[in-house]
Amino acid sequence: MNEILGIIIAAVLSWINFVLIDTWFGLPEKPGVKGADVIGRDVKKRGGDLSGGFFQGNIVCSPDASAGTILGAIACYTIGIPAGGFIAALLVFIGNRLCADPGYAGTIGALTIMIIIGLSSFIGIPPEHFIVGMLLAIVTIQGLDHPRASILIGKIAKRMGRYTELN
Amino acid sequence: MIIHVDVITILSYTLAVVSSIIVGFILKLPLLPERPIRDSWTISLIFPTSVIALGLSAMVFELGWTGIIVGIVIGVLSALIAKYLLETILPRHTELIGDESQ
Repeated sequence: MNEILGIIIAAVLSWINFVLIDTWFGLPEKPGVKGADVIGRDVKKRGGDLSGGFFQGNIVCSPDASAGTILGAIACYTIGIPAGGFIAALLVFIGNRLCADPGYAGTIGALTIMIIIGLSSFIGIPPEHFIVGMLLAIVTIQGLDHPRASILIGKIAKRMGRYTELN
Repeated sequence: MIIHVDVITILSYTLAVVSSIIVGFILKLPLLPERPIRDSWTISLIFPTSVIALGLSAMVFELGWTGIIVGIVIGVLSALIAKYLLETILPRHTELIGDESQ
């Protein structure tokens, strides 16, 4: 497959994987640590959404599905499938527990991206495309425009019933 | 092709998970964390015991020790780690009250 097209498809799949899993496991609901609370309120002050801000703060402060997705992609590239995905899931779980997080989102993110990479390999998308794709996906949330990204995340959180009750 | 797996390896992973669940059951670990699961820190058979079993098995298999017996031993070890070691080596859950963790 064409490299650019492969990276774009991998970025879209990675974005859907980590945003849906992180939202489902309640990242927009409340800040896990004080740093996430500070980031969330700062994003809101700049015209963003508080729930989306908590999401952004939480993925900065602990390795959630975003870290699981990129670590899973790297491990699948270096070690292979399924060993890479399993090792990534265990390492992300340990990282989660060290960062005051129960670890469901990161672990499941690593396992689901392993499945997605395995299936994508049949249409010619290799794991290295997912490494680049995930970097691009995380840039759309954390690197371009915090307030607008947080509003989008807030809308997704509302749809999935994970909007914050905090003010 | 990046999928590196044969029947023996699949069986070894499966037996690692099954043996970890059986030993965890004997050690009286709950099957699932209490609801809502996303807020629960309870160590249960499905999570994280199975994840530890899979991760440890993958590490050991990649280091060169393979086979069904190795998978079963890793499963037993994973259940013991989950029950007795995990909360000793990793921090327990602390509640944030104000700015201080309790």
